[in-house]
This record gives sequence, structure tokens and C-alpha cells, in this order.
Amino acid sequence: MVKKKSKTLIDGSKIIVEGLVRAGADIFIGYPITPSNLFYRYAQNRFPTFHAAPDEISVLQWMSGAATTGRLPVTATAFPGLALMVESLNMAFAMELPMVIVVTQRLGPSTGSATTGAQGDLGLITGIVPGFDVPVFCPSSFEDCWELPARALQTAVELRTPVILLTSKEMVMTSRSFDLSALPRIDPVIPEIKGLHIPYQSYRAGEDLIAPLLSVVNEQHQVRINSSTHDLDGLIAKNEESLNVTRRLKTKINSRSEKLCYYEFDGAKTGKKLIVTYGVSSFAARDALKELRERGEDASLLVMKTLIPISAELIEIIESFRQVLFVEENINGQLAELIYGKLKKENRRQLNKLGEQISPTEIVNELV
Amino acid sequence: MDNKILTDSKFPFCPGCGLGPIVRSMSKALSESGYDPLDVVLVSDIGCCGIVDPLFATHTIHGLHGRSVALSSGVVLGLKDVEKKVIAIQGDGGATIGLQHILEAARRNINMTLILVNNMVYGMTGGQVSGLSSCDFKKERGIPDSSPPYDICELTFTAGAAYVTRVNSHKVLTQRLREAVTTQGFSLVEVSSLCQAYGVSKTTDLKNWTEKEVELRNENPGKQKSSRELVPLIDMDSGMGSQFRSDLTGERIGFVIAGSAGGGVQSAAKVFAKAGILSGLSVSMKGEYPITVGTGFSVAEVILSKQEINYTGLEKPDVFIILTNDGYEKVRNRIHENAMIIADSGVEDLVHPNSQRVNFKQIGGKRGAVICALAHFVVESGIMEMEALTTAISYGRHAASLLKAISNLTGIHAVQ
Repeated sequence: MVKKKSKTLIDGSKIIVEGLVRAGADIFIGYPITPSNLFYRYAQNRFPTFHAAPDEISVLQWMSGAATTGRLPVTATAFPGLALMVESLNMAFAMELPMVIVVTQRLGPSTGSATTGAQGDLGLITGIVPGFDVPVFCPSSFEDCWELPARALQTAVELRTPVILLTSKEMVMTSRSFDLSALPRIDPVIPEIKGLHIPYQSYRAGEDLIAPLLSVVNEQHQVRINSSTHDLDGLIAKNEESLNVTRRLKTKINSRSEKLCYYEFDGAKTGKKLIVTYGVSSFAARDALKELRERGEDASLLVMKTLIPISAELIEIIESFRQVLFVEENINGQLAELIYGKLKKENRRQLNKLGEQISPTEIVNELV
Repeated sequence: MDNKILTDSKFPFCPGCGLGPIVRSMSKALSESGYDPLDVVLVSDIGCCGIVDPLFATHTIHGLHGRSVALSSGVVLGLKDVEKKVIAIQGDGGATIGLQHILEAARRNINMTLILVNNMVYGMTGGQVSGLSSCDFKKERGIPDSSPPYDICELTFTAGAAYVTRVNSHKVLTQRLREAVTTQGFSLVEVSSLCQAYGVSKTTDLKNWTEKEVELRNENPGKQKSSRELVPLIDMDSGMGSQFRSDLTGERIGFVIAGSAGGGVQSAAKVFAKAGILSGLSVSMKGEYPITVGTGFSVAEVILSKQEINYTGLEKPDVFIILTNDGYEKVRNRIHENAMIIADSGVEDLVHPNSQRVNFKQIGGKRGAVICALAHFVVESGIMEMEALTTAISYGRHAASLLKAISNLTGIHAVQ
């Protein structure tokens, strides 16, 4: 018997929280902020452990402390909160602690407009640990809201790193009819200790560039976690060994850019016109693509779901098109800038908008 | 002295620095209290306290300036019921920038010990004074700042710490540290200590600059306990099937529902969206209201569509449901000549060629007015069966009163 399609009215926040818990995230540390309000509310009754921190610096510190005990922490914030977290996020990155930070974008700069959606935070996130890559996943549909959080957590655990899940107000607060029964099962991430070298050194990595993370709960091996430049033991040092530990923070993520690369591509891999977008603008782009094709245009769509690190595969796709339009709800085109820097190319155009969603019509008008 | 808490590493401190005796006292207090090295998690701050890690055979964590207490709190919260002794070691500069973390840990009575080494200066950046430098110390050094120091012991005790003490003499230090590390809950040991580089050489009489010793024990410290019932947020099989017929003429129709806070706009929009799902349509629904959620406008947007909805923006809404003047003010500049307007008769200054005015507030009451206006649209347009709407209402809160409002409305329609 064919299962009858049935739908639920649901918002993206709920799907993300449920997905994270099913993936094994077990502690939520929150500080309230719009438009991440729903994450906080749902997490209170869903995460095995929930704590309300007094500020966002405490949030990241508590998460880091909890991560040293083997817990898998999550928080959800917006730009002002993320800005306060920057130093502590660098600490967690240097300490190599797994965690997921959900960032819900709203109109900035500064406090901006808390209840207006935007895609303006990539500029900060790109350099949030200057010179290094904090993996960033960006859901562009409710299916992504289910699957990407689990991948984010998996990445955080496997690569021993904080991971950012970049969303926007429209993605996580707007409700839609959605068929939950079609979603794939999510299995919990089980942290594996591979290649444990005895005596244990907290920052000694194997060939895979990942140092096994033992928790401070263990009673056999001394664990030393360190935020400052440190050697393999986890002690402050300034020498070739410690600089190699620092270099490894870059390579352990960069060397996996292909594996971490998630995207949706609709079209021929060499073609005339390509729309490149991510997150909430993907909805309008999908509608625009349909209309462009109905009008007989040779149009394709690339929705990037991994924003950092950027894999060579995606650059190859983008470069294979004669005309490319980057669609982003921000003032300067932050994804375009992440890829091309300040170098402007004639056939690499941008459609940007501030304070309002970009509509399918606006995208179509750019490409006909 | 039992050495097992410590490693064989050479002490890195300046000659005469108080940190040497403090580290030895910590080791003694811990081993005398029965702790093995890996029973202990030592969290060190930035500054001279931050170079102690190699000396300890315990687990060690070295974090940021001023955040060691917050980081330790995270360790304790992560541990739940696992028994570990978590100790933070911090200087007076760290305590100044991280004061909030200390008060929070004390307020929650987090099960940890803070060893606050107060040498009254930032020793690594040139000997600047901190929020814990005493007035006499500042005066002695010719620093034009007569503001008193934070009394960290008093503050922490008032906030709810289980045990706090200020120690000026190293003679009682081991005993006080033992008290602290065996206390269940938050304990603070503030140790006055000299900075050889920036303290001693410029200070004549040490007794003059320390605050007086204290030892305070909170008889009824707070306990951390949280027990919650965990509820799955989604039930994969809870979806609503398409039970009713819809008679949507175009591909999709967009609604703007505008009223005031507390008037049930958001919940009515949700019910209406659910009725759309029950009628086999794809729907989207979003709300907008000012940050003062209890007053002002409340606007919702609903789209009903035959196809899957991607873009949820409404460039030209088809229908405006307007209940109050607040709501009308918010959306009036979006109204266009082809729109259909259904408005409460109390809305002022509304003139439109395609508008219907009904006294929904009288028919449905304050809470039921919005749902009545939507039901009115359902009757007039035949877009869906009324039963889809009443079924959706029955799933939610205030079902009885809302159904009554609907029956008032349909009664009026039947008479008409």
C-alpha cells in the first residue's frame, strides 16, 4: 500500500533541535536572543541537559567546559551574541573541542533589526578564527534542517572542532507544511577513540591529523587541554612542535574540504547561466530557476550547503559557466567576496538586497 | 609533603613569589583530602596563575583571561553526577574582568573551588592595578585612584557561595584550602600574595595593603537540581492527511492578517494554515510583531498553494484580513487596488472598492474575531470546506470558544 502523504505545520527551529538531539547532542547552553528564540524554547524540553547562561561569553565557556567531559554541546545565537563569543570560540577551536553553534542571521550591523531576516554574517564568520577554517553548514530547505545539523555534529566530533550552522530568521521561524514521514533516520554520532598513543598526549594526532580526545572523566590518562600555543602534551610552548600543532588546526579541516562539501546542483555542469546562492535565498532561486526555464533560458542553480571550507569542486562548477549571478540578502555579496575577494569580474554578477528577502522576480529580471 | 599531585617540573616563578607556596599548599590540601591526581581538574587563567599547568599531575585546562571560573562551571555542568574536584586558579586581574562568572558560579553554588591569588597587579603587562587592588596599595604606589576594591569574599558569600575565605598568612593556607576542596558547592580562597616585580619593591609595609582576613560558611547553600520531562518535538507519523476538498482557483493565494497583540492573530493564522493542509494544500505561515509583544500590532502572513511553496514572501497579497486600527496602520501601505479586504467594522479610515465590513468582534469576541473573519472568507470564497477550519480549531487551544464563535458566524450567514 502506498503510504498516504501527510503533512505537519512546522518551523525550521523545531526540525533542527530534534535533528541535533537525535544525532547525539546532549547539552544545550543558551542565552536568549532574537531570532534564535525558538531554539532556546524547544531545547529546554528536549535536550538531556539545558542550562541558561548569564551571557554569551559564559555560553561558550560552559560549552567548552562541558565538551572536556565528553558532552556534545549546542547553542543558538545571532550576530550580537556571536560577536561576544568570538574570543571563546577561538579558545574552543584552539583547544579542539567539539560543539555546534547555530547562528540565526538578522539584519545588522550592530543590533540592527532583530526581527528582520538577513544573510549578513558570513563576513564575520569567514574570519572568525583568523586564517583558519571553522566549518560552516547552511541549510537551504527543511530537509537540510533535518540532515545538516547531524552532519555538523558528526563533523564537530570527527574533526574535534566547533562547527557553525548558519541559518536565517526566515529559515527557522517561518512555518511550512512538511512531510516528516519522508525524512531519513538519524543515528547518533558515537565518538570513537582511534589510534590512542600511550602515553596519551592530548594533541598528538595520527595520520588522519586528528588527535583523539579523551575526556577529563577518564581515570587512566592525564588530559591537558590548552588554548594558548601548546605542544603535543597540551602545555604552553613556543617551538617547532607547538607551531606544528597550530598548523595542523588548519590542515585537518582543509584537507577534508571535498568530504565536507554539500551542495545542490540543478543543471548541466557546463552551461550559460548559473545562479549561486545559499540559505534562505535558495527558496526564491528555485522558483526563479523554474520560471527561467519556462521562458526557455539555459539556466542552472548551485545551492551551497557547505560555506566553509570551500571545495575545489564547487569552484570548478562555478568557473564552468559563462555567466554567474550570486544571490545574497546582504549589502555587499559576502559569498561572492569569499570566493573572488575584491576582484570583480564582468561575468560574475551579484544580486544583493538589504532588509528584505530577494524575490524570484528580481532574480529572473537579472538573467533575462 | 606528598608529591603525587605535583609533577617533577621546576617551579617557574620569580624568586620570592607567593605562587610557589600556594602550589605546594594546594598539593598538600588535595592529597591530605584523599584526592588522586586524576580526580582533579585544574583550570588555570591567564597571567602568572596560568603557568602552573606543567606543575600538576592532575587533568589541566588552560583557557582565557578571566574566564577560568566560567570554564570550570562548564566542566562541572558537564560532569553531572561524576565525582571530580574542579579547581580554578585565577589572579585579581582575571577576577576583575570575569567578576560576573564568579558571582554566577557562587549564585548557582557550582561544585568547585576558586583559588584567587591576589597580588593586586597585572604582573604580565607592567604592574597595572586591578579592581581588587586595595586603596592603601594604590596610595603607596602613587596611583590616583581612591575607589575601594571589590570585596570579592563578601560579594561571593552574599551571592550564595558555600565557603569563602581570605588568607593573608601562608600559615593557615593549607588548612583553609583543605576546607575549601572538601566543601560541597562553591568555595573561594582569596590568597594575598606578593608580586616581586611590581609589589614588594615599591611597597614598604605589607600589612598595610591587604584587606582583613575572613572565613565565612553558608549554612544553607543552594543545590543544583534540575529534573525535566523530555518530550520529542516531532512525531514522524503525526502529519495531517488531506481530508477535505479545496476549491482554490489560482495556483496560490496569499493572506495578510492584521490585528493587535493579544487578539489571537498568530494562533488563528496557524489554525487557518492547518486547515489548508487538511484541504490538501501546501502552506506557509509567518508572524511579525513589535518587540513589545504585549502591545501594538500583530501581523501574520499565510500562503495556500497547490504546488510546493519555496519563496514565502508576499509581493502582492491577495487578501487582507484586518481586525484593528493597529493592524491596519501596519499593513495599509501594502494594500493595492486588486486586493480583497475583509475588515472589522471598527477599523477606521478604511476605504477600498473591494472591501467587506463585518462586526467580527461582536460575533466572535476579542479572541474569536480573527477566526470569524477567516471563516467569513471561507464562506464567501468557498476556498475550502468549513469543516476543514473547524477540524483545525479542534486540534488547538481554546477550541470550545473558537468553535462557538464560528457557529455564531455561520448562523448569521445561514440567516442571510
